[in-house]
Amino acid sequence: MDLFAQLLANGLGNGAHYALLGLGFGLIFTTTRIVHFAYGPVFAVSAFAVWLAVAVGGLPLAAGVVLAPLTAAAAGALVYWLAYRPFERRGMSSHSVLILSLGLSIVLESLLTLIFGPNIHTVPGFAPPIFILGPVFLTGLQIGEVIAVLGVAGALLLFLRQTRYGHAILALSDDRDMARIVGIDTDRISLIVFALGSAIAAVAAVFTLLNEGATPSMGFNPVFVAFVVAVVGGLGSIPGSILGGFLVGLVESLGLWKIPTEWQNSIAFVLLFVVLLARPQGLFAGARR
Amino acid sequence: MTQAITRRAAASVLASGLASGRFPLNRPARAAEPPKDPPVFRIGALLGLGDKANWNATVMQRGILMAVDEINAAGGIDGIKVEAAIEDHQGVPRVGVDALQRLRARYDIQAVLLSYSVVALATAPICEEQKIFMLDGGSVTDGLVGKFSYLYHNRSVASVLARAALTIAKEKGFKKMAVMCASTDDGQSLLRVSQADWKAHGGEIVAVEQALATASNVDTQIAKLRTSDADFLAIWEFSPGPGLVLKRAREFGMKQPIIGVEFTAEIAKVAGQNADGFQYASDYFNPNAGDPWPKRFADAYQKKYGDPPEVYAANYYEGIYVIAELIRRAREAGGDYFKGERLLEAVRAKPRVPSVYGGDMVFQPDGTCLKRVGIFSVKEAKGSFEHFAELAK
Repeated sequence: MDLFAQLLANGLGNGAHYALLGLGFGLIFTTTRIVHFAYGPVFAVSAFAVWLAVAVGGLPLAAGVVLAPLTAAAAGALVYWLAYRPFERRGMSSHSVLILSLGLSIVLESLLTLIFGPNIHTVPGFAPPIFILGPVFLTGLQIGEVIAVLGVAGALLLFLRQTRYGHAILALSDDRDMARIVGIDTDRISLIVFALGSAIAAVAAVFTLLNEGATPSMGFNPVFVAFVVAVVGGLGSIPGSILGGFLVGLVESLGLWKIPTEWQNSIAFVLLFVVLLARPQGLFAGARR
Repeated sequence: MTQAITRRAAASVLASGLASGRFPLNRPARAAEPPKDPPVFRIGALLGLGDKANWNATVMQRGILMAVDEINAAGGIDGIKVEAAIEDHQGVPRVGVDALQRLRARYDIQAVLLSYSVVALATAPICEEQKIFMLDGGSVTDGLVGKFSYLYHNRSVASVLARAALTIAKEKGFKKMAVMCASTDDGQSLLRVSQADWKAHGGEIVAVEQALATASNVDTQIAKLRTSDADFLAIWEFSPGPGLVLKRAREFGMKQPIIGVEFTAEIAKVAGQNADGFQYASDYFNPNAGDPWPKRFADAYQKKYGDPPEVYAANYYEGIYVIAELIRRAREAGGDYFKGERLLEAVRAKPRVPSVYGGDMVFQPDGTCLKRVGIFSVKEAKGSFEHFAELAK
């Protein structure tokens, strides 16, 4: 039972991480219909920004952390404006944009490798506090991530429901052509969505940096996890992304309670497969926004 | 005795000997035909320079370039210069195969230094088929041992490293072992060897958990290992994997001793203070090994790069010298001697070669070499040599 409790806690911690990834990715995909594989390198860029600020620049960690979403937002917006938008304007098919996205991801990762080298960059001297709750050990990072996802999701919901830009994003995700007809500047809204989605990914990137360090390839797995979470939860649904993230985290953790851990990397994709078969629109697709 | 000292000569003496052909080793009664000399001896090397954990590739490259410079400064091999043709395999087998094919196409290489188990497993069959002599100072997988006639190792392989690491647990009288291993070929090799050795010792294996070498989340594995009530945890992974395992094991409250087979700057960075007390088995390059060559190499390396040399630098530096010695021996026999086959014949005829670790190194019939393995302990992010592992034959 001790093991079950620990796995449950781990699953919640990992789930929060996955939910953050799914939220950003899902928001971008639902609004722009772009499968944004370069989400991974943007994720890495934000971690390196914090590393540069703290480990090289000597800024306090709290100050460095603030840089992450700002850098990611700028990087995400640039990627949209310089790479995706020109293709969209030429009326390229979604398949072409998908290939562009893959290529861009590889180019950006290579660029990061050239700049920072392929090895691990850590924040020296950082050790998260440990909390012991009976048989369960939790780090401050695990708890912080659960709080972060709830905060980010709440803020995002408020933004979408209470602001003019939020309404425009919702309109665009419902029907892009209709949004354009009623006068919404779809380029500008797409730009905002890329900045917003990337900034959300940066929150998860900071936790990865503090937990295990940053590498140029650190965004490779998160893209796929984000994709699985967004699809399992239901594309376009904020509650769906959060619940999808926690579901994937819990299934991945608790699923290995009795089966060998060699299966760890397959579990999320087995879940994706099952969901696509049983409910292709995603488990929580009805709970839009 | 005089001859033994000559054969253990320092780098410059060895290089001079190579240049002049004065070494009396294995000299044939007469050459069958005059040697057909190439304009340059080009030795290939496949290193993971673009890999996530490229620290070891960087020091391998340093060792290679230093050896080449030394040999050429002393006049080359019998007056012919040596060149290193280094290609990046990025730690990826497919890229390694492409890199090897480039070396073949551009330079028709006859000898190559390999690294990384997973890449060596992909490239060795091609070298074997093309009769390219291979020397590997980095890979540890037993999957490479005895499978390829052209492949030799100047690093201790898994069967030695795992047994050496387990001497730590045996000395402490532990019985219950928990294992965290990488689902890679070298991780699995270490697992197989350690399971057999630990069972033969009368010990019990209470848990085996696995993860990808690049896994960024091992929480589930650590949670399961923690509840296994083991006396100690063995990490059968190479850099940077053990860093995260050490970190999370301590954060999850595991207080048991932890042993392994590698500790690098990358592991230290990720593990931080959680690495304190970690003990590991590794080849040990000792600059004060009672022989002039190790000391001379260590001093020159330190002067050139600002760091003391460690195992990977020493092994790849040594690798160039081993191949140079085989070229010289093959040349003495005359004919079209700069061929992988002729280098293989040379090492088979006399498997004893000078080692930068001190004294001579003797290659075994399966291609492995016998080197002593050190036991190290980590304190404040630095590994300190404790003693040599005593392995039962």
